[in-house]
Amino acid sequence: MPNKALKKNTADMIPIDLKGMRNFSEIKAGLEEKIRVIDDFMLGTSVVINIEKINLKAKQIRELEDLLLDYGFHLKDIIKTETKAAEDKHQENKLADDSNEMANMPLYENTALICRHLRSGQKIFSEGNIVVLGDINPGAEVIAGGNILVMGSLRGLAHAGAFGDDSALIAAYRLNPTQLRIANHITRPPDGEVVDMETPELARIKAGKVVIEKLKI
Amino acid sequence: MKSTVLVITSGKGGVGKTTTTANLGTALAMMDKRVVMVDTDIGLRNLDVVLGLENRIVFDIVDVVNGNCKLRQALIKDKRFEGLFLLPAAQTKDKSAVTPHQMKNLTNELRKEFDFILVDCPAGIEQGFRNAIAGADNAIVVATPEISSVRDADRIVGLLEASGLFKSRLIINRLRNKMVKNGDMMDVDDIIDILSIDLLGVVPEDESIVISTNRGEPAVMESASRAGAAYKRIARRLTGEGVPMYSVEDEKFLDKFWKLLKIAR
Repeated sequence: MPNKALKKNTADMIPIDLKGMRNFSEIKAGLEEKIRVIDDFMLGTSVVINIEKINLKAKQIRELEDLLLDYGFHLKDIIKTETKAAEDKHQENKLADDSNEMANMPLYENTALICRHLRSGQKIFSEGNIVVLGDINPGAEVIAGGNILVMGSLRGLAHAGAFGDDSALIAAYRLNPTQLRIANHITRPPDGEVVDMETPELARIKAGKVVIEKLKI
Repeated sequence: MKSTVLVITSGKGGVGKTTTTANLGTALAMMDKRVVMVDTDIGLRNLDVVLGLENRIVFDIVDVVNGNCKLRQALIKDKRFEGLFLLPAAQTKDKSAVTPHQMKNLTNELRKEFDFILVDCPAGIEQGFRNAIAGADNAIVVATPEISSVRDADRIVGLLEASGLFKSRLIINRLRNKMVKNGDMMDVDDIIDILSIDLLGVVPEDESIVISTNRGEPAVMESASRAGAAYKRIARRLTGEGVPMYSVEDEKFLDKFWKLLKIAR
């Protein structure tokens, strides 16, 4: 596809050059124009956008993310450089907090798949990741060296990164745990207030604290 | 008809296992089934008292498994219904007086003569529980709409699954419709959501249960008892009949009744 702004580089990322755009609406229009012509075989690849000097608000970044998702791409990073050297350097850096979670997931070799409900008194341990296709009821425990993904309600106890990996994640279709542990951090839901979230959520450590946020995919 | 061994269990004590056993047994016998109720709560026997058969006990389950008497000698025939029998627990021994293996043999022996074998399980998850579930085909889990009861029921369902009993069914006991409506009590859906097993029936809170229990006459014999009516419906479900659930039926009927009244005016 003849498009100067597009080149697939070795790191499986598509850099999109949006230099010279003056404001957010121009950036958005430019981005849409460029991703529309990307080949289908690149679907699911991460995209790095270079917007030179413009500062974007969090809401605007989210809008760009959504736009990319509509076309099947992930926004990996937004950079503000003019030279290629600086761009490369930026890519090597650790990704910013607002970028896609899945890109940040640490890699574990083994994943245990559990296709049943875990009931009170039952305990699952894996050195790698654990995926549960079912609920984890109060009184049940799931302990993983890596990440924990629950395709159901997490109502019991989950401990991710049990060997001290504080980049481990706990994601659940419904996250209502009795207690969450990531590495050596232990949290529980606040007393009194009962918040029933109707969306999938994700827990991880940010700035030394376990935080829970909406799972954006 | 092929006979069925059902264990009635809950984990937590005081939720109504024994009452449920007595009422379901009686209700099934009223439907002309041959039923035996086995009390496995050795050391804390109650089922005989609830049925008003305490004074007829000569031999008990421990005598049977140890060969001190024949099975027929230990079975107590109910004073009201032809096909209803009780195998009482021993009061002077404890749970270790019987092994799961012996229980399995015992239930297989009972299968020859009865359509339904209802095993009343003791509270807890120790040997008494192991004994009670040893010969069972299926389990009925009794829970009240309390968080502690549901938690224990969940544990029990897990243990049942670990023992190969996958088709446990749930009876929710002592539900108060008014409190559920006000949001003060867990409702049926909340409980099923957590336990995710099939619902067999809902029994409403009913003061007449206390009276009938003290008298030694199961509530199903009382035609005015709401709990008794619920147990009768559950018994019909056990025989494979399709019977609508209590709460739904109750409200819809009343609604229709009032609507009809309004139209008539």
